[in-house]
Amino acid sequence: MSYPDWIVLIAALLVIILYGVYKSRSSKSLDGYFLSDREMPWWLILLSIVGTQASAITFLSAPGQAYTDGMRFVQYYFGLPLAMVVLCVTLVPMFHRLKLYTAYEYLEQRFDLKTRTYTTFLFLLQRGVSTGVSVYAPSIILSSLLGWNIYVTNIFMGGLLIIYTVTGGARAVAYTQQLQLVIVFVSIFITAYMVVNMLPGDVGFFDALRVGGKMGKLNVITTGMNQKGSGFDWSDQYNIFSGLIGGFFLALSYFGTDQSQVGRYLTAKSTRESKIGLLLNGLVKVPMQFLILLIGVLVFSFYQFHKAPLFFNNEMFEKVSKTSYSDSVKAIQVSYDKINDRRVELMATFHPKNDDIGPAAQEELKNLNAQGDSLRKSFMRIAKKSGVAGETKDTNYIFLRFVIDYMPKGLVGLMIAVIFLASWGSIAAALNSLASASVVDFHKKFINADLTHEQDVKISRWYTFFWGVFSIIVAQYVNNVGNSLIEAVNKLGSLFYGVTLGVFIVGYFLKWVKGSAVFWSAVVSELLVVLIFIMSENKIIGLGFLWLNFFGALSVAIIAILLQASIFKNSRTKST
Amino acid sequence: MPEENENPPIFGSWRNWYALVIIMLLLEIIFFVFFTKHFA
Repeated sequence: MSYPDWIVLIAALLVIILYGVYKSRSSKSLDGYFLSDREMPWWLILLSIVGTQASAITFLSAPGQAYTDGMRFVQYYFGLPLAMVVLCVTLVPMFHRLKLYTAYEYLEQRFDLKTRTYTTFLFLLQRGVSTGVSVYAPSIILSSLLGWNIYVTNIFMGGLLIIYTVTGGARAVAYTQQLQLVIVFVSIFITAYMVVNMLPGDVGFFDALRVGGKMGKLNVITTGMNQKGSGFDWSDQYNIFSGLIGGFFLALSYFGTDQSQVGRYLTAKSTRESKIGLLLNGLVKVPMQFLILLIGVLVFSFYQFHKAPLFFNNEMFEKVSKTSYSDSVKAIQVSYDKINDRRVELMATFHPKNDDIGPAAQEELKNLNAQGDSLRKSFMRIAKKSGVAGETKDTNYIFLRFVIDYMPKGLVGLMIAVIFLASWGSIAAALNSLASASVVDFHKKFINADLTHEQDVKISRWYTFFWGVFSIIVAQYVNNVGNSLIEAVNKLGSLFYGVTLGVFIVGYFLKWVKGSAVFWSAVVSELLVVLIFIMSENKIIGLGFLWLNFFGALSVAIIAILLQASIFKNSRTKST
Repeated sequence: MPEENENPPIFGSWRNWYALVIIMLLLEIIFFVFFTKHFA
């Protein structure tokens, strides 16, 4: 990186840390530390919800996803808007009415302590590990592309934000997320403008879309039907049905039962402010993701006019090139170079005014892209066989590699800052929520309930610090285990979300079902979901992971009803 | 749970909110289909 890039990067990070510390008004109680004294306006709630969900990987992965797989990833968010309305009608007003700190407190009031503790445990396990991966995932990309030491990058990625998260609690998290999002979105759209600007002479934005469209990258809506016409493909990850149904249950669970999100809208000054924040989040999410994915299509179009790398993770490419497979890699590279040359040659005949390059050339271009994809897959297979530690897919590297190779000085630094800031937004919220669940649902429940306000705040700071250190340790460990863990941990949420949601659904809608029935139902359902997941991973059955949210919730409800109607017929418990 | 259903923001009832998000989603899907076709 050049000096201007370093200056921009350091300045952006310093501004956020100082702003976070400046906004860290001293909190005198748990209400202040975890809930910002319940005085946040709706627009800050909205930005905080968006900033918590949108991690660095969102901004790195989505354009890469569009580059390789087209725009269909946007369907993942189709169930979200409806889920926001359902939550605003059901759980959100109840959480506010009960003046909760964490979502899991409700489960003790409605069921019993063991159900509350079990769901809190699932949350801490899932969120604790995934926060570590949230530190590691962007770090390894920066480390690979810029040659930074991964351990040091992990410490900076997960460490600096601890300064303001520990001191300022939820208030510092919300205010920094606001500034972070502004910087992130402005930078992303500057980049989009630059991509179009770097296209040859008279090729504009719509021409770039036309190029992407003709190469099949604008396929937003897919039905998931088998290409052979033999019915619905359950293993297809992103289609309109998995997005609407699986995505609906995922969003219900994530926004309704995951403390990292619940903790954001509980800071609102009224139920109404929480609802507006959530509802607007539902309205903006699909268009926002659509625009981020569109940048990936623009990058794809850019690489139709310019030579594209065979593999976007250059560090991994170099390592594989030095193994016993070097001859195979060289042969693939030679073939890929020929494709690149011919593609650039064909695109030189592109005339925006004629709106096309002619049907024959278009067909040839399609074939070239298909051959290019096939060569890329061949390299990925070799990378896997070579045993070199590292990701054998390069989706998350595409956008940043483009930025580093083509963006002007200063902008590269800004985009690296964007990776840090987007990460910090979601990690800070996660640390705050992990600390609140640890203090409210464990420490004050099992260790010491009689704390003064000052002691409450002090112990909360220590828990925030502990989870910050824990996430950095997980990040360092992930590096030793290997990158295949990242993908597994990304699916970790779907392993637990469905079951947790099921417990809340039973709590809210099935008042006659009591604590023991729902507790054992949740335990059995979790085992079932894990079993289905293992079978799916081993190709015994084909099931996209989004469906696990649906099946987990359904399983808890059905088994709880059956248990209550049989084994626990005569049991009694509290009801809210 | 009538006590939880009260006070929908901006619009008068939750039914309007459900209608809004469903219509918006439908319009988005229609837009995406035409968008794909237009640039293909």
